[in-house]
Amino acid sequence: MRANASAGYKVGVGAASVALLFLAWELSSRSGLTSARFLPPPSAVAAAWWQMVTEQSLLFHAGVSTLRVWAAFLLAAGMAIPIGILMGSVRVIGAALEPIVDFVRYLPVPALVPLSIIWFGVGEETKIFLLWLGTFFQLVLLVSDDVRRVPFEYHEAAATLGSPSWRRLTDVSLPAMLPTLVDNLRISLGWCWTYLIIAEIVAADSGLGFVIWRARRFLKTPEVMAGVVTIGIIGLATDQLVRAAHRRRFRYLAP
Amino acid sequence: MSRLRFEQVAKTFHGGIEAVAPFDLAIDSGELIAFLGPSGCGKTTLMRMAGGLETLSGGQVLLDGEKLGGPDRRRGMVFQSYSSFPWLTVGENVAYGTRYRRDLDTQQKREQRDRYLELVGLTEFADAWPAALSGGMRQRVAIARTLAAGSQVLLMDEPFGALDAQRREALQLELLALQRQEPRTIVFVTHDVEEAAFLADRVIVFTRRPARVLAEVDVNARLGRERTLDTRDSPAFFALRNELLAFVRATAEEHAS
Repeated sequence: MRANASAGYKVGVGAASVALLFLAWELSSRSGLTSARFLPPPSAVAAAWWQMVTEQSLLFHAGVSTLRVWAAFLLAAGMAIPIGILMGSVRVIGAALEPIVDFVRYLPVPALVPLSIIWFGVGEETKIFLLWLGTFFQLVLLVSDDVRRVPFEYHEAAATLGSPSWRRLTDVSLPAMLPTLVDNLRISLGWCWTYLIIAEIVAADSGLGFVIWRARRFLKTPEVMAGVVTIGIIGLATDQLVRAAHRRRFRYLAP
Repeated sequence: MSRLRFEQVAKTFHGGIEAVAPFDLAIDSGELIAFLGPSGCGKTTLMRMAGGLETLSGGQVLLDGEKLGGPDRRRGMVFQSYSSFPWLTVGENVAYGTRYRRDLDTQQKREQRDRYLELVGLTEFADAWPAALSGGMRQRVAIARTLAAGSQVLLMDEPFGALDAQRREALQLELLALQRQEPRTIVFVTHDVEEAAFLADRVIVFTRRPARVLAEVDVNARLGRERTLDTRDSPAFFALRNELLAFVRATAEEHAS
């Protein structure tokens, strides 16, 4: 009950602070304190957003971007989880792969855009590759850390209860690391969006990054901002959904 | 024949740090032995070697005359922390103890789970998550889980060390009650002198690292096998406690000089 009340309180304060920010923004733009050309008021952004939805198939572009993000994310996660677990639980594999992973991890994704275009052209492969590049190498290290951080006592307890070592992955490691793993996946899904926009700005004829970049060319600032806001809304909604699922699934952490 | 037997068991860590000097001990079936000594003296290492969780640098540990290797169900561990799995309910935790028992069918496993939940008084908490329980109840989950696994030897590493005084006493009484109902062979590691005196049939007092036996005290000869809260107020208990305390202080002074 108290947890519910405090959750409601948090949502209320959050909504109030957002409303206040929008109000101040609207007022500053209308009063001429800031130039509407560069910082259009929220009302103009909302109008532009609605026009983009009805006339410029904004939702189609948002759908395309979301699909790209999820395709790359699932590919990266599908590879990072097993490889990360191997790196975290088999010492020699961890020692062998860590230097490579660390090297690639520090390469800024934008620096690899030209190379990616040379390799894959400007089609979907380039976007998926760039997103995968930006998330896989980060995620694989996070996963291997998650495995290593599982308290060794859990493994020892399982061993003295007769669990053979080959069952320890499903008996102990996976359930013990799952809450942090889901958190890390949620965070890396956010990175995917960052890299997606870079990829779509450079080489795309669809998607939110393309929409934003096209609007910029004609200095349609409200449309640029409407595109940005769309990404923010998708990100916020996804994040909250995953968080809610996390609380539900892992309610044993704070019953 | 003794049940658990340490023969010249020794441990030297990498880098040459000697943790345990060659150690001999024979433990009878149903006996509760307390390993008493200062923190970090090597008593836990000794117990972990019995559990197969630490390799031996020398000697051997025998169970019913058979040389022991890596960890298995015959020797159950109860740790001070991380003792139960937080992702399983209380009932599932205890059931996990039966998962790898080939001697039981599904129905018998369920019976074992219910029986040991009952024995530690957690039947009504079967569906609760461990995180919702007090530290004392979580330790009871761990004990029930180990018992459900059919362990012949219980290795307890300061299992009540993180509990407050009242809960610790309650758990100590429960452990004694369990020993009366179904005696197990138990090695109980503690640095609490009163706990050792109250629970044990025999107390082994260790020196600082490397662990050597400083004294072996037959508690049954002094207090009898039956222990109740009254035992704790008896002159014999005080005398024993002071004697053990003197040993423990001696190890501290030996280190200081």
